Amino acid sequence: MKKKHRIIRHRILSTLLFVLITFWCLAPLVWIGITSVKPQGTEYKIPVEYWPENPTIENYGVVLGEKFRVQQSIFNSIIVSSTALIGTLILSIFSAYAIARLRFRFRYHSLYFIQIAGMIPPIVVIGPTFVLLRHFGLLRTYWAMILPNMAYAVPLASFLIASYFANIPFDLEDAAKIDGCGSTRIVWNVVLPIAAPGIFSAGVLAFLGCWGEFMLAFTVTLGKKSVETVPVAILNMSQAFQLQWTWVSAGTIISLIPIVVAVLVFQRYVVRGLTNGAVK
Amino acid sequence: MASKDDTRVAILFIVPALFFLTVFNYYPIIQTFIYSVFDLDLTTDWLNSEFIGMENYRRVMMSSQFWYTFSFTLGFTAVVVILDLSIGTALALSTFYVGPVMRGVLRAIIIIPWAIPKVIQASMWKWMLNSDVGPIGDMLVRLGIVQEPPLFLVDQFLAMGSIVLAYSWKGASMAAFFMMGGLALIPNDVIEAAKIDGAKALRRFFYIILPMVLPTLSVATLYRSRDALRVFDVVYGLTGGGPGTKTDTLSSFAYKTYFEYAQFGRGSAYAVVTFILVVIVGVFYIDRIKKNFSFKE
Repeated sequence: MKKKHRIIRHRILSTLLFVLITFWCLAPLVWIGITSVKPQGTEYKIPVEYWPENPTIENYGVVLGEKFRVQQSIFNSIIVSSTALIGTLILSIFSAYAIARLRFRFRYHSLYFIQIAGMIPPIVVIGPTFVLLRHFGLLRTYWAMILPNMAYAVPLASFLIASYFANIPFDLEDAAKIDGCGSTRIVWNVVLPIAAPGIFSAGVLAFLGCWGEFMLAFTVTLGKKSVETVPVAILNMSQAFQLQWTWVSAGTIISLIPIVVAVLVFQRYVVRGLTNGAVK
Repeated sequence: MASKDDTRVAILFIVPALFFLTVFNYYPIIQTFIYSVFDLDLTTDWLNSEFIGMENYRRVMMSSQFWYTFSFTLGFTAVVVILDLSIGTALALSTFYVGPVMRGVLRAIIIIPWAIPKVIQASMWKWMLNSDVGPIGDMLVRLGIVQEPPLFLVDQFLAMGSIVLAYSWKGASMAAFFMMGGLALIPNDVIEAAKIDGAKALRRFFYIILPMVLPTLSVATLYRSRDALRVFDVVYGLTGGGPGTKTDTLSSFAYKTYFEYAQFGRGSAYAVVTFILVVIVGVFYIDRIKKNFSFKE
């Protein structure tokens, strides 16, 4: 009897927790979702409508139409983030390999040089970075976001990759050498496959970091819509159309779909990357 | 032993990364230090400006604005770190409490706030906290807690609270994943043994679970405070520092000083102070990296 009570109590408590957590995590999203299907102009109706009388998808048509073209900002974000991701991985794989597997004099100096860079707050670099990019005529271009973001992502990415490289036994490389593998083949066929999960995590986090980056993107795009990334476009939209929240909401929902889907699909790698090194 | 061969390859491998970090991290930070000792009004041409030594810092230190912003940033950090970690721990514990099927779904739900870019999260909360038609104000009225919806983003203290709420919404999710990692390391039989000994849930939490996740908790504190000290996006998107400059943090105020008031010297002084605060946290951070990188020589 007592055991049965306990099971029932567990079930009730579990459901309660589930509902509570879902509410906490999703309430803002749901509210934005509801607003996005209200007919334009009714979002300010008092008393507050928790579900519109005549739900509509018109707002989505508006934000995808000529006036806003939210899809443009998603396209920009994809270009910027994936180019930065490739660049970050190239820089990080090579530097991580050197730090974790090669013996050289400045090994620890290099490690610190890279990791300390990761702690520098964006506000300390934004001023001179803006001036530098202006000097090279890169303002209002994709490159103004791609190049700095590559640098910003290197510390975490090379840390994650190096911790995988460091765990590969040196004997394995030696064995491959004896079998007649050249250095390049050892790296391609032995080292990289073993470190693949680390590289994948690093890549996913670099991509997400770049996707969400705001201060730099906002500063260097200077309001040019054809290069604005998602966070900049949505913020600008919400400031320019403070009284048209049905539009802003629809834009927000559309712009969030790709990144939320990506995070859910790559959840395993995201979590591994986030907690790796933190919980050892 | 370092052989000559390795050194050459290693340098070839590592120089591209070092180059990028030099150009986009180290050069700008040094330049910021340089800006901060020049008199730069509406210009960034420091070579043709007057060198004024510590004058920018002196002016900043003398202003009540600085001390207000400084204390707000520190207070904000303290509050959100506590909130992030306690909500995060509660979320993490919950995922272990519910059954395995619910656990997977719950984790997917908890990660969603983390996926949303900070500045978009700020604009979402702005709409949630709207004083005319926001659901939070409306709920408070319906529950009879207040007579009229509070002016969340107009009143100084409510605006501060709103920033904390919006920030911790995402911060708690991040902390939750840290804590899940930590909790997963506790051997099940330890908990079972305590249960058999008749330890109640609360006692189990404070005497067994908490001491065992303390290392994870301290790392999470480090990461969260590093993030909170340099908070910018949420402030910029939610209140823009308002009312007035009452909710500006060091970062957001420095940003305004740069790009709205065009005072690069003074802005740089603010940025440098932010940097110093983060460095204090960073010392502990580097210490951890050292521990993580105990390679074979």
